[in-house]
Amino acid sequence: MIKSIEEYLDLLKTELNGSDPATIQDALADAEEHLRAAMVSLREKKPEITEEEALGQVIEQYGSPDETASAYKEVERRTTPQFTREMPKGTTALGKFFGVYSDTRAWGALLYMLIAFVTGVFYFTWAITGLSLSVSFSIFIFGLPFALLFLLSIQGLALLEGRIIEALLGVRMPRRPLFTEKDLKWLERLKLLVLDRHIWLSILYMIVQFVFGTIYFVLFVTILSFSISFIAIPFLQEVLGMGVIMNNNIHYYFPTWSYPLLIFGGVLLWTAFMNIARGVGQLHGRMAKLMLVTD
Amino acid sequence: MVDSSALTKKFQKEMNAGIASLVLLSVLDKNAEPMYGYQIAKLLEEYSGDASFMKQGALYPVLHSLENSGLLESKVEPSVSGPPRRYYEITAEGRNTLALWQRVWKQMKSFVDRAIKGG
Repeated sequence: MIKSIEEYLDLLKTELNGSDPATIQDALADAEEHLRAAMVSLREKKPEITEEEALGQVIEQYGSPDETASAYKEVERRTTPQFTREMPKGTTALGKFFGVYSDTRAWGALLYMLIAFVTGVFYFTWAITGLSLSVSFSIFIFGLPFALLFLLSIQGLALLEGRIIEALLGVRMPRRPLFTEKDLKWLERLKLLVLDRHIWLSILYMIVQFVFGTIYFVLFVTILSFSISFIAIPFLQEVLGMGVIMNNNIHYYFPTWSYPLLIFGGVLLWTAFMNIARGVGQLHGRMAKLMLVTD
Repeated sequence: MVDSSALTKKFQKEMNAGIASLVLLSVLDKNAEPMYGYQIAKLLEEYSGDASFMKQGALYPVLHSLENSGLLESKVEPSVSGPPRRYYEITAEGRNTLALWQRVWKQMKSFVDRAIKGG
């Protein structure tokens, strides 16, 4: 029994595993659009049935995840067989290690590591300022509306972070804010937000993102510089005549026979880091999903 | 033993493959305004009455493939009550193709009817 639209989308994504990424994206967007529209109209027509029953009926008409997936695969197979590509299976460990260069997730994770530094600083400042102002303003009349605005901004930022994560790390995150009742008094809305566990987890995420962002950035810059330095040593020594260490006019040089080793070491270091970055990106995405996504 | 319900399902699926394109083009041709998926699904539900010919989810991939062939156009617009919606509209090329397809369908229909009746 599927309990939420999110769960349906996850199942659909699993069923479509191996299809063209664009097909998967289309299928998910179509299903989300349809299921949400159908839910709203069904709940309006029959307010007495529960959320779960409504979802059951809607899915019955739309088709189960495997039925829907097979419809997309069928059309994909009929129309554009040349565009579907699967990852070559059974490659060696060495192939997998160096295959990281053709993996968009690894490049996305690298970019994320850079961006996380900037967003991390911003999130941290925003969360700490908002929290402390909300607490200190609470002795004034405008304290509560301010707190409400702050918590709403956190929801917005969480959504934005989710978009960045899905785009760069490929971890599915919600695309749209959750439905909220429109005719809710603002005080009740504030109460709902304060009692929502995920708002506090989101604030915590914004605070720890500062730490993660800094670590990612430092690792990225350090390892990039080391790798490039190793690769460039032959050029620096032979062409520019610079030593590895220059101290009081005494130059220290690497011997010529070590050049291939140095270049290889530099490439190896960077490739290893790309592999690590991909893994870290997936872990980070999973953490973000736990903290930012309301179930 | 022959599993006739599974065979019927397969038969239905194979027939749907072509008919769905014809039906979707016709619906979008008759409607003056661009329509989004759920709207189309609702309308088809109304047409089909109690019998359900295909799952609503199976309409969307057909819409995409019609769009890829240039018979439909789509644009995404935000909606008041939820996720943004993709609105589909028939193109001039789609209208020409539809006229041809409708002719094919009429010939096919009379051919099949005659074959079933036997003369």
